Amino acid sequence: MEVLLRAAALASALGDVDAALERLEGEPLALPYYAIPVPGEDWLARAGTIARSVAASLRQKAALSENEWAAMPCLVGSSSHDIGALEDRQHPVLDPPAAFARRLADWFGVRGPAMSVSTACTSGLSALGIAADLVAAGRCRHALVLGVELANRLTVSGFAGLELLSPHAARPCDRRRDGLALGEALAALVVSTSGTWRIAALSSVLDPSGLAAPAPNEAVIAGSMREALSSAGWQAAEVDVLKLQAGGSLSADLAEGRAVRDVFGTPPRSVSFKGAIGHTLGASGPAELALLMGTLHNGRVPPTWGFSLADDAVGLDPRAGQVSAKRVLFNLAGFGGHVAALALEKST
Amino acid sequence: MTAVPVIHLAAAHTLRIPSGELAQRARERFGGELRRAGSFAAGPAGALGILWTSSHGALAAAHAALDEGRGGAPVMPFTFIATQPHLAAALLARQARLARAAFVHVERDSWPSLLHVAAHWLRECDEVLVGWVEEGAEKHGIAQSDWCLLRRRPAPARCEPLAEGAGETVSSGEWIARLAAWHAARRDALALRAGGEAWRFVAA
Repeated sequence: MEVLLRAAALASALGDVDAALERLEGEPLALPYYAIPVPGEDWLARAGTIARSVAASLRQKAALSENEWAAMPCLVGSSSHDIGALEDRQHPVLDPPAAFARRLADWFGVRGPAMSVSTACTSGLSALGIAADLVAAGRCRHALVLGVELANRLTVSGFAGLELLSPHAARPCDRRRDGLALGEALAALVVSTSGTWRIAALSSVLDPSGLAAPAPNEAVIAGSMREALSSAGWQAAEVDVLKLQAGGSLSADLAEGRAVRDVFGTPPRSVSFKGAIGHTLGASGPAELALLMGTLHNGRVPPTWGFSLADDAVGLDPRAGQVSAKRVLFNLAGFGGHVAALALEKST
Repeated sequence: MTAVPVIHLAAAHTLRIPSGELAQRARERFGGELRRAGSFAAGPAGALGILWTSSHGALAAAHAALDEGRGGAPVMPFTFIATQPHLAAALLARQARLARAAFVHVERDSWPSLLHVAAHWLRECDEVLVGWVEEGAEKHGIAQSDWCLLRRRPAPARCEPLAEGAGETVSSGEWIARLAAWHAARRDALALRAGGEAWRFVAA
């Protein structure tokens, strides 16, 4: 059974999908952290406000009946869940992450089973994979996928301890890049038997050296892209747009650049969103997918914020421009060696 | 509804170890073999999937990281890394070709739903490990590591989803233990249900 992306919605530092894409055409922001501009001292109440806002937007775009909407299972991808609530002492003990998934499902008004998937930065894409499995297996016709990464001190402190953060801002693929900038996002997708973009393939590869290596292995990244292309039945030259993982890391951007040149020779039109909304970790799959769907709908790839000086060693040159895309490839890589590539084809 | 592909149960195994004995037992079991890189280092030949759950994930590591970070102090790299339970799959990837891997948190009594996910993964994997792991703090000081190995090709038992309402109600955390006991006793069939799911296991 075919599985398609039906609708997407987002809360990010730049607002929802339409606001973010409009802002991307203006003067770039350069921030060390990209927070969603929703105030609130109470972590859970703020999370609920953000979630309900995204739910309202998604519900309108998905155009499902009341019953279809409510029956959806809810697959949540996150690396930190609601640990921010514990830091703020709203919970005396750590909630089971499945309870946070149920809380999110309630905020979205869906009553199907709730499950949380944890594979670090690829969590949201792993959740998408399981949702697609459920739809393909006929277990449901529509499934809700959430990518959720909201502010907490533990994540920032952990990334700072690993010396992965830029003191300035994210500069994906740029010669001056000096690390990641983290961000918040709550993104939502409806995966369905009908929609605008067909999931042609989702490759998910584990780098055996991922635990100890400073960056994803370029051969593993290239292998992931080749596997997705092969499963989709595409040649590399048929890809119209490539969404890069690139987040401004010295070594990871270099590895991805080498992998892309290895697979494509001359890379297709490419874009990274991590200079715009930050690296949103477990939410990055659904968040960047929501921006990519908006991009494709508008027929224009936006500028990659933070990129202006090409690095010959990376060899990638993400530029804005008009595009009429039929096939796109979406790269994502995560902590611990998880590398994924999603192939999407425009539904006829 | 799309037909569930035929899947088979190759093995079921449970482990309960008092938390205080865990480190010593692990050293006794694996220390010598790791040094020699003997049979322990040999993984399955085909594509493997691993799908496992626990109620809280790496709870001890999460508490350690929160304690370290209290008052704005930096969290040490390995403490932070240890909070991500899915990293266990990266260790397994050194010994086996992992085609799919996910650490998930499911709602109470929803573990059997993972059998459906595993059944779908068996379209691209030769075998899928489906597990439930708990640190001792969650189980009155007893660490739990329960696994079943599902296969696409024929194995000692066939797994079939049943209509809702059939089978004996068993809490989903005990499914693998029941499967292991049934498997060892070599009885004809076992039907279990939990959380709206029901499955029958039939000896080949």
